[in-house]
Amino acid sequence: MNTPALQVIDLTRSYGEGVGAVRALDGVDLGFARGTFTAVMGPSGSGKTTLLSCAAGLEPPTSGRVVVDDQDVTDQDEEHRTRLRRERIGFVFQGFHLLPYLTAEQNVGLPLRLADRRPDATRVRELLTRVGLADRAGHLPHALSGGQQQRVAIARALVTEPAVVLADEPTGALDSATAREVLGLLRSSVDDLSQTLVMVTHDPVAAAYADTVVFLVDGRVAGRMDRPTADAVAGQLAHLADLAVGGAA
Amino acid sequence: MTGLAWRSLRHRATASAATFVTVLLGTALMGSFATLAATARGPVSAADRDTLTTMGTVVGAWGALIVLSAVVSTVGITVTQREVEIGLLRTIGATPRQTGRLVRAETLLVAALASAGGAALAWLGGGVLLALLRNTGAVRESVSYSPGLAPVGTAVAVVLVSLVGSGLASRRATRGPASITPHEVRATTALLPWWRIAAAVLLLGYSATMAVVTITVTAHDDDPYSAMATCGQLGIVVALGLACLSPWLLRLLSGPVRPLLGSGAAAYLATYNSRRRARMLSGVLAPVIVLTAAGISVFMIVGTDDRTRPAGFEDDARTINLLNNVVVGMMVVFAAVVVVNTFAAVVAHRRAELHQLWLLGATPHQVEASVLAEARGVAAIGVVLGALASLAAVVPFGVARHEGVVPDGQLWLPPLVMAAAVALTLFAARSALRRAHVPRGALR
Ligand SMILES: Nc1ncnc2c1ncn2[C@@H]1O[C@H](COP(=O)(O)OP(=O)(O)O)[C@@H](O)[C@H]1O
Ligand SMILES: [Mg+2]
Repeated sequence: MNTPALQVIDLTRSYGEGVGAVRALDGVDLGFARGTFTAVMGPSGSGKTTLLSCAAGLEPPTSGRVVVDDQDVTDQDEEHRTRLRRERIGFVFQGFHLLPYLTAEQNVGLPLRLADRRPDATRVRELLTRVGLADRAGHLPHALSGGQQQRVAIARALVTEPAVVLADEPTGALDSATAREVLGLLRSSVDDLSQTLVMVTHDPVAAAYADTVVFLVDGRVAGRMDRPTADAVAGQLAHLADLAVGGAA
Repeated sequence: MTGLAWRSLRHRATASAATFVTVLLGTALMGSFATLAATARGPVSAADRDTLTTMGTVVGAWGALIVLSAVVSTVGITVTQREVEIGLLRTIGATPRQTGRLVRAETLLVAALASAGGAALAWLGGGVLLALLRNTGAVRESVSYSPGLAPVGTAVAVVLVSLVGSGLASRRATRGPASITPHEVRATTALLPWWRIAAAVLLLGYSATMAVVTITVTAHDDDPYSAMATCGQLGIVVALGLACLSPWLLRLLSGPVRPLLGSGAAAYLATYNSRRRARMLSGVLAPVIVLTAAGISVFMIVGTDDRTRPAGFEDDARTINLLNNVVVGMMVVFAAVVVVNTFAAVVAHRRAELHQLWLLGATPHQVEASVLAEARGVAAIGVVLGALASLAAVVPFGVARHEGVVPDGQLWLPPLVMAAAVALTLFAARSALRRAHVPRGALR
């Protein structure tokens, strides 16, 4: 229970070279303990998506380490990183990213299919029931509402029992009532299934569902807040510009 | 951000290029034959006028059907691919009428440029065609090339057809409520639209009638080429009829061809994509059917003719079979280009989706293998249907020339044409994957 499910150590990621270079991440140190829910917040361009991409092995960091489940995955080859994505990491995206030609049930089982494993039908059903879509198992994504699609995507992210679920603005495309449902589901995956969850969001209300909020500014950790409330997070966001100036000085 | 803009531009470029090339070559093909009909109206002998008019109108008409159906289908794919964008436009308040106008304006721009180029090619191509006819003695040396406005008229006609095609497709794309989550492409299970069914019934009905006419009437004519005139094109006509039904046929036959797709995740994905998004891949299936049918039926008929021609018709034979070879050559090249282009447009359209597969843990090999498995399925269905369609010409002509239902020679030809069509389809898929550069990168 003590080693973090996901840890990034002195993580730096630069784009381009010379004077035009952008440091999307600049020495980020973060550990995400097992069974915790962390929200990552920060202004647009502060490096949130880059952090998730590096953590998932989607792009290589310029320097620093990424450790998943006690395993240093930084220098793994393409094949190992593919296996990492398939088995140790679950994704939830803003745009849902369901395959339009697979039913809800088939989308949930897809990560297992990609690993050439046959999804266990009862387990898939259980997950769909958990996200409240047992009666929609055979529907194609276009016959589901946005909130329902995102719930399918959550079930899909959980199907491999990954070390960590990474969610990039999972409620960004949903109305506020639907967003609350989805956030409740994400919260319950942490409480009931002891999942580890890292969620990027812009929304203080969404962040308040997390155990901890981490603030990023210009690719650096600019603060954190335990047991956040929406008001406290909103207040902190308003001061982020000051934090950025303070951090630079 | 610049990267994103480039990517989206390149996407669209592939789809627009497919329309451009189809319209360009289509106008060139149709226009070349139209110039012959125009030349026939100049100061030429009655016999030459007959030859030129036959070539220009009869042959040109079937060529035109192929071209026009390809144009409608390609434009349709381009517009369908923009469903997401259209959905987005509508969520920010664009009316269906406005989005329809936008799509038509874009089609008009691409089609007008392409058909202008095509008209120029038709002007040149018509000259080459006439020179060929003069050299083989099909028409007199004195016939002078006078294309008149035929290339321009063809270009205008093709542009109008393109607009009809984009109108049909954009009506489908803008039907229903505006989508609030336009990130995902809808899997479409819509049945065949009525105009596809009507066209198929018409084409298949015509073919059945002409096959009967060939066996019962023209087979007994003194002119051995009467039978060819009534059944020679039937392979292509039946293929066009099947092409009209191609979304339905693909969905129907994706089950039986499943063993060909192999096993594992790639085959699994390919099966469901072919079945549930048949409309998209049917754009590739249609030209494969036509290509196979045109190749097999025309070459087989020429073979039967060579074996069974009565003495004294050598001169006719030279002209007619030259004509056959030119026509089938042009159509096969055209259909082949359509296969390659359509595949490129389909795969370019699916880049985002293929990237998502990779994000979820598919290996690059699995991603490519799923597209190649789809290509194998489409190729298999296409060549079998194409070969069946070719029977509509081969069998009546064989009966008319007393070879019976099975021709007496060249039975190696159908497998050869089918193998070539399969190879072409697989090549199209590979080159589409290479050109699409499925991204492997960050979440954004
Ligand atoms: N491929 C890229 N090339 C150059 N710069 C990039 C690239 N991707 C991201 N960036 C830059 O890195 C910074 C962080 O981006 P990102 O992680 O997407 O921010 P966020 O998700 O917090 O909005 C931004 O300044 C962005 O412009
Ligand atoms: Mg982002």
